[in-house]
Order: sequence, then C-alpha cells, then structure tokens
Amino acid sequence: MDSTRRRLAAAATGFLALASIAGAAPVTLRFTVWDGDESLRVIRGVLKQFEKEHPDIKVRLENFADYNMYHQKMLVTYAANAAPDVAMMDMGHFQALAKRKAILPLNEYFETTPGFDIREFYKPIVDAHSLDGLCYVLPRDIAPTGLVYYNKRIFREKGIPFPDGTWTWDFKVRPELREKDFLWVMQQLTEKGPDGKVKRYGFVSGWPGQTVDTLTYSYGLKTLDDYKRPTKILYDTPEMRKIYDFYIDLALKKKWIPSNTEVSSVLQSTTQQLFVQQKVAMFQNGIWEVPNMRKMLKPGDKGFFEWDIALFPAAAKGVGGKPHRGYATGGSGYSIFSSTKHPKEAWELVKYMSGPPGMIAMAKAGIAQPAIRKLALTPDIWLPGPNTPLEQRYPANRIATDQAVPYVEFGPTADYWPEVAGLIDGRRDSIYNGIMTPAEGLKIGTKEAQLRLDQLLREEKLPPFPWPAGIALGLAIIGGILLAIYWPERKIKYSYREKKESLTAYKFLAPWLIGLAVFTVGPMVLSLLMSVMNWDMIQPAQWRGGKNFHEAFVEDPRFWISLRVTAAYTLIATPLGIFFALLLALLLNQKVRGVPLFRAVYYLPTITSAVAMTLIARKLFAPEGGLVNSLLYSPVMKPIGNAISSYAGTPSEPVNWFGNEHTAMATIILLSLLGVGGAMIILLAGLQGIPHYYYEAATVDGANPFQRMKAITLPLLTPALFFCLVTGFIGAFQVFTQIFIVTNGPNGGPNNSMLVYMISIYSAAFATLRLGYAAALAWVLFFIVLLFTLMQMKLSKWVYYEADAK
Amino acid sequence: MKEQSIKLTEAEAFRSSTKRAENWSLVARGLTWIALFAGALVFIMPLYVMIVMALKTPNEIATTAAWSWPRDLTWENFDLVLSNPNVSFQLFFRNTLTIATLSTLGVLVSSSLVAYAFARLRFRGRDRLFIMLLSTMMLPAVVTMIPTYVLYKYLHWVDTFYPLWVPAWFGGGAFNIFLLRQFFMGIPRELDEAALLDGASHSTIFWKIILPLSGPALATVGIFAFIYNWKDFMGPLLYLNSPDKQTLELGLQTYRSLNNEQWNLLMAGSVLVMIPLIVLFIVGQRWFVKGIVMTGGK
Repeated sequence: MDSTRRRLAAAATGFLALASIAGAAPVTLRFTVWDGDESLRVIRGVLKQFEKEHPDIKVRLENFADYNMYHQKMLVTYAANAAPDVAMMDMGHFQALAKRKAILPLNEYFETTPGFDIREFYKPIVDAHSLDGLCYVLPRDIAPTGLVYYNKRIFREKGIPFPDGTWTWDFKVRPELREKDFLWVMQQLTEKGPDGKVKRYGFVSGWPGQTVDTLTYSYGLKTLDDYKRPTKILYDTPEMRKIYDFYIDLALKKKWIPSNTEVSSVLQSTTQQLFVQQKVAMFQNGIWEVPNMRKMLKPGDKGFFEWDIALFPAAAKGVGGKPHRGYATGGSGYSIFSSTKHPKEAWELVKYMSGPPGMIAMAKAGIAQPAIRKLALTPDIWLPGPNTPLEQRYPANRIATDQAVPYVEFGPTADYWPEVAGLIDGRRDSIYNGIMTPAEGLKIGTKEAQLRLDQLLREEKLPPFPWPAGIALGLAIIGGILLAIYWPERKIKYSYREKKESLTAYKFLAPWLIGLAVFTVGPMVLSLLMSVMNWDMIQPAQWRGGKNFHEAFVEDPRFWISLRVTAAYTLIATPLGIFFALLLALLLNQKVRGVPLFRAVYYLPTITSAVAMTLIARKLFAPEGGLVNSLLYSPVMKPIGNAISSYAGTPSEPVNWFGNEHTAMATIILLSLLGVGGAMIILLAGLQGIPHYYYEAATVDGANPFQRMKAITLPLLTPALFFCLVTGFIGAFQVFTQIFIVTNGPNGGPNNSMLVYMISIYSAAFATLRLGYAAALAWVLFFIVLLFTLMQMKLSKWVYYEADAK
Repeated sequence: MKEQSIKLTEAEAFRSSTKRAENWSLVARGLTWIALFAGALVFIMPLYVMIVMALKTPNEIATTAAWSWPRDLTWENFDLVLSNPNVSFQLFFRNTLTIATLSTLGVLVSSSLVAYAFARLRFRGRDRLFIMLLSTMMLPAVVTMIPTYVLYKYLHWVDTFYPLWVPAWFGGGAFNIFLLRQFFMGIPRELDEAALLDGASHSTIFWKIILPLSGPALATVGIFAFIYNWKDFMGPLLYLNSPDKQTLELGLQTYRSLNNEQWNLLMAGSVLVMIPLIVLFIVGQRWFVKGIVMTGGK
C-alpha cells in the first residue's frame, strides 16, 4: 500500500505542475478543526476576514467535533493520502505525526516570515509543541489547569478574604496562616450537618487525577523520567505515596473533597455543576470552563452568585523547603500536513489563525487564552477592561492565567505512552475510589506499567515487508478459501435439474458475491497481512511475523484483561438480553390495550442516539443525586443499597456505578438491556409469522396455553431465536461504542474494568499507531468468534425449520 | 399441526373454548398490561430525560435534577438547533434522508435475493458459503478501515455519499441476509413446491410467494437498515469532509465538543433527530402486526 500511496502522490504532483502552468486559479486549502458550535462560529468569522485579505486563497473548513474520532480520521486520511492541508493539533497527538514526518516543522517559516516573532508566544507552550528543537504546531492557546474557581458568596459568608493566589498548601492544616493556608480554607468552607453528613464540600478536583497531578508537580516530583521519551515510571516512591495518602485522607477521611467522583476523565461538567449548585465552594480546572459557566450563571438569573478564579496554591515546602508551583497544562494549535501541495498558503493560514486575528477573536469570545503573551495581557481582549460587556466580566481575575504560565508542566506526550498509561491509571482509579491503598496501588501499577514500557521500548530490527510475497500469499489465501468451499463437494454429481438450480442460485447470489469481491475480500485479506506486519499507517510496513501474536498472548497484560472483560460481558449480556427480548415479545404479542404504543416505547432506547443515551445514563447512575442512588439509598431500599456498597468495596458510600471497578461492567450490562428492542422486534416478527390456525387447532384439541407455547410458539420461533443468539454473540464480542463514550476514549474505565477487546484493538491502532498489532488482535478475535459461531451451528439441532418439515 | 385440525375455522375454535378459559385470559391480560406498563416506565425514561433537558435553560440543567420537570419551560433550544447556521439542520436532514433511503432500498432488494438462495436453493458450496457470509460480521472494522478507505479513494468516492449507500446494494450485509434467510426458512415449502410443479420459475416464486409472505421480516429489515444508516456515525465521519455533506449524527457532535458540552442543545437536537425514526417505527409496525395471512391452506 505504500507503493500505491507513492504512485498516487507522484500522479498528483504531476497534475499539479500542469495546473500551475495553466493559470493562477485561487488555491483551495482544506482546514480541519475539532471545535464545537461556539468556537466554530468564531473561526468562521475569522476565516471570512482571512479570505478577504488573501483573495488568492480559499479555505474549506471541515469540522469534526468528536475529539477522539478527529484524531482517528486524521490518521486514516493521511494514510490514504487524503489529509487536509492544515489541521488542528495538540501536544498529545502531534508527536506521533511529527516523528513520522507527516506534519511539517515550522521553524523555517518562523525565520523567513517578516514581522513574525515566535518569542512573542509563551515559551512553554511552544516548547511543548516541539520535538528535538523543531516546532510542529503553532499554538493558538495555552490552558494551565492551575486555577481555582471559587464562590465569592460563600467566602463572604464565612468572613474569609478572597484568595489572591499567594496561599500555600502543606500536608497538614496550618490554622495560624488562616486564609493563606489552602487546607484551612477548605476546612472552613466545608459544611457538615448535625449527622456528620457533608452538606457542602470545600473543594473538588476537575477530575480525580488532576489535583493529584498538580500536587505532584508542585512538590517538585516527576511521574516519568522524560515526558517526551519516557523510559522509567516514577510513581512508586515514598514522596509520591505521601501525595496520594494526603489526597485520599482529604477525600475519604476528612471529607473536605467529595470522594466519589465520576469515571476518570469526563467529569468536568459534573464538578462544574456541583459548583453551580453550590455543593462545593471551590473547584480546580483550566480556563476552558468559563464559556459554560457564563451560560449557567447569568447575572440577574435565579441562583446567580458572584465567582472568580485564583491561582492554585503553591506547595509550602515544595522544592528545597521553598514554595513551589507546578500546573499540568493543555493547549492546542495548527499544523501543516506534509502532504500539502500549498505549504506557503497553508502557513499563511496557520499564521493568521494562530496569530493576532484568530487569537483576538477567540479571546474576546472568552474561549481561549491567547498563546501570544502581549495579547493575553491586553485589556478588553482577554483581560476584562472598561469596554467588556457585563456578561463577559466573569471571571475578573483573568490575570491569573498569565501568572500561572511560568509554572506550567506538561505530562507525557510520547506516542507509545497511551498503551502503558492504562496500566498505571487503572490502579490510580482504584486508589481514588478507596479500593486500594496508595502504597499497594502505586506499587502494582508501576510494576505492571514498567514491564509493558520496557517491552515497547525494546528495539526490534525488522526487515521491510516483502510485498510481492505478501500479495502472493494474499492470493493464495483467497485460493485456499475457494478451495475450502468447493473441494469437499467435488465428488457430488449434480443432475441436469440440480445444475440448473445451482446456476439460478448463483444469479440470486450475484449481488452479494460481487460486493464481497469488490468491497470485502480485499480489505480483509490485507488486514490479515497486516497482522504479521509492524505498520504505523505512515511509514513503510515491516515484517514482524508471529511476534505480534506472541506479544498478545505472552507479553501484553491488556490482552488477557480485555479478553476476560469481553467474555464476562458477552456471556452475561447476550443470554440475558435474549431472555428479556423473548419475554417482551411474548407479552407484546398479546391482544392487550395499547400494544402498538408499548411496542414503540420498548423500542425507543434502541433508536436513541448512543451519545445521548450514555450521557443520560451517567446522570441517572451518578453517585450523588443520581436517580438510581436516590431510590437505592431511600429508607426502604437502604439495606440493598448498603449491600451493593460493600460489594463495591466502598461501604458507607453511595455506590459509584460507572466509576467503581466492581460495578462498572454490571452497569454497562444493565444499560445494554435497555437495547433489547432490536431482538424483541425480530422475535415479534417471528411470532407474528406463526399462522393463527395452529393455535386455533391446538385450542380445539384442548391444549392449554403452556402446551401451546411448548408445542407451537417456541418451536416455530427457534429460527428467529437462533438468529438472535448467533448475531447477539457476534455483536457482543465486538461491543464498543457505548463503552467508548462512557470512558471517553480508549482508556478502559476504572482499573480497566471496562477494557473490552475492541477498546484494546482501537487503542493499539489509533492511540499508539500500531496497526499491525491491532490487526493481529482483531484476527485473534475473529477466530474466537468464528469458533464460537461454528459451535452454535453444530449444536443447532434444536432449531426447527418449517421448510425442512415434510 | 395435524392436517385435519387445520381445516377448522376460527368460528369453531372460538365456540369450543370454555368460559373458564375466558376468565383466565381476562386476568392474564390485566397482569400483562401491568407488567408492560411498569417496564415501559423504565424504557421511556431516557426519552423523557432528553425531552425535559431540551426544555430547560443551561442554568436550570446545572442546578436541578436531570429528570425534574422544567421550572420555566423554554422552546429556545429547539429554535436554536433548527436555525443554527453552523449546523444546518435542514440540509443535514436532507443528506441523512438521502443516504438512509438509498441504502435501505438497496438492503431490501439485495438481501432478500441472497437470502432466498440460501433458504430455498441447493447449490455448490452452500453451507460453507453461508459460514463465509457470517464471518464477514466477525472481523472488527477498525482493521479494514484503511484498506477500505484507500479503495474508495481509488474510486473517487471520498467526500461523496457513495461509500455510504452503494455497498448496501451488493448484498445488504450479512446481518440482514441471515435474518431474512431465517424467516424464509420458516415458510412451509409446500407452497413453492406446488408452484414449481406448476412450472413457475424461482424468480416467480420469490416475487409472488416468498416476498408477499415475508411482510414482517421485510419490515424488520427495512426498519433496522434505515435506523442503522440514520444513526451511523463512523461511516459519515470517515468518508464525508465537506461541511455541506454532513449528516445529523455528525452535526450533533458540534454540541458536545471537548470541554464544552451544551446539554440543552444536544438534547434538543437528539430529540429532533429521533422523531423521524419514531414515525417510521409506528408506520412500519402495521406491517409486522399483519403477519402471514395464509388463505391458501390446503
């Protein structure tokens, strides 16, 4: 496929050379972003201005707001040589592309563009987007997470002066420092009822790992030896344990921080809502919360209160006994794909969008802190000024975003890191949930992750993939399949009539056979070849042979975890789902008032978009204030609730359904039962297909309803049931979308308890760019499912086909 | 199932049932209704939450329980979604409708043809070809994505609707073929054997006997195919680039970008996207309620 790409590129270049001779038609740039509705409006406006100023350049904006899928699409389109010219990029993703020369280093442009000075940009964010001294992404914004959003009303009520950022935290409360001590403030703001139950927490972290990471950086610690090229994992140290013990003490014992937060990474909106509901007095997060906060807290609205931001406190004895700060930081910018035919024009666009015009527009809309410092410090652009409209006045202390920049830190950005991260992050989840002590969690996690890291870092000398042999092998496989299909029947002689029937059959099959040959066989055989490759979608493929399979079975702990998780899901959810579907179909086949309406209602969850469905499920299953827990911990149901809590390993806490490693998968299975509508319809259609006179005849013969069920309904329903079982299992083995949305990307959920097989394939393919390994995993799954299906077909004697009955 | 009993008419059957059975069935119906109603409350919950959230302001969503009835009910979210120039609902609706309709037609036509062959005809390699058919469902699409993409690029199909509906006309997918095959196999063979003896060709049997008897199954496949394509996310995401070629599912994503989930708009949009499917389902239901009306008998 690499040769194909090269040939295509050559053809395109030739064509272009012709085109450029032909005339100076305006150049069209494809420009891709992952922005949502609001920033999209701003970008559209800036682009209009850009086109006016550059009449020879047209820009076609393409937008894919799903952040995970965006990066996947970029990889696929680049691999197929159909990438856009300019694309939004961030530090977590650029490195994989930069290493493989898929995006252009921009330094040359920095130097040759008159009036452009990269030193105007905040240095740390430029460095974070550089590799080996070359910058690949021109940053459009910087977003340190070292901000504390605080509720001014509560501070006033408690008589505590507003934080000015000079506060510190130590490992214990220091009442003598009063408002200069973060823990003292947190304690003062926490409000407990007479029963000891917390009515309002002092503080909450944007997501569980966020505050811990901030504490880690502030304490001068590193979690890895080198964030861009990690080789050593440094979680298992006494200093690190001290941080985790400290945090866990605040959350689980002192209860100044809510303990049960949601699944690892997507709970910004949840913590933000706790704040808006005034159930927490302060929360930590980046500046990106502001647009939503402004919408939820409009001056004059009911429930409005004044709020502002302050710098997250420094560690009192951070480094060398002196106060020290460190904030994990995000940011994004624009890159130029190396496949572009118009690099000059692309740079014009990048410079414009990540330059004053783009940044000013984004800053004025309150969406992003400019990466150019002087813009960030100009009143009425980013800082509120005299002309800032009232609804954009909050937060007033926006200077804090600039004050935070000297202390920014950047987490791991290596392209192979995601494969390892799941192993250590899983244990961190268990620690936050109180299921493991920091000591054991960090120890096990570090050990497992280090092992995997070492495996990935091991250098392999691999020969290039032998394409001619590969293609020959592919053809041989196709031949082999044909042989396997027709060889066993070679001795059966067909009569003239049978031959004619066979010919007719192939006419009926023609559409499928053509489709199979054109759309399916090629990609399937290629993916089989991939399974013995080392291929990252970009560089030429290498021969890796059986090592991919060896790695899966022997080395990769995630393989066995995901196999176990998938088996549990498949073996429980499928039979349970079919049982419920059958039950519903039987009930809905009765002549009861309102049956058509009931059918529609039971089918509703199936047609609801998976995204909406999952988001709602998260609300209903939320640990605090979710509908399920409100019922479960009501006085009547309390014993059941408590039993589940202790099963989950968190006695005396409301169970955190999606966030707890013991209940997460069970919750997914429960949720999957809402999707039985499909199987229900199939069974219902099967029931409707049973001729009435069978029942009438049986009734006449004196059969009671149960006998009728056993003798007529169930046997005649077996073809439909068999279908539901076979396809149900095939589908369950490949369960993906719902879990991907719940866990917000390919990260496996709390302690990898939701790491289904497809997630591990996906993460190998698109998080670490090891498509060869992913293909090997996929083919292992294929054979498991195939065996399972063949077994079901062998055991399908129970299926009764009317057409066979004589 | 005995032959003689089939001859009995409905009236006779009715007369022979006893009073006791009637009473029993009344109680059974009552219980069935109660069970269905209780279950329906659970199954309608997601839609209910979607609707109430779509009727709330962002502030109310943040401060009240997800399922509480809106304090000050607002239609603004629906207005915003329908009039947002960034995400042209009308245009995306047309695009989605085109793709879903074309592929549903393709699925219905081609999968029923193929299923007929598997259900009714004897041919070389049938059983193993059937396994082959099923096995196309077993390989995760993640690993065939790039070869497939390259193929479509060769055909100049990227950024057109073709990759999203043309393949449906070539077999219509193993799932649908398998489903129809199961139903076709449930139709007694006497019917087509009689027709064969009368000299009918297989295409006549297919069109005149099998298809008319498969209303419920075809309606099921049609509804499934339409819904699948209506809700498909991955296909449009990969193959469509131009802003004016987007589908509704892609458009909805703009309301839940990174760090900026606009729940009110997302829910309003999701409700709007669902409405055509609900209508389709209610209309399609008539087909599978009818069932097989076999007048011929024997």
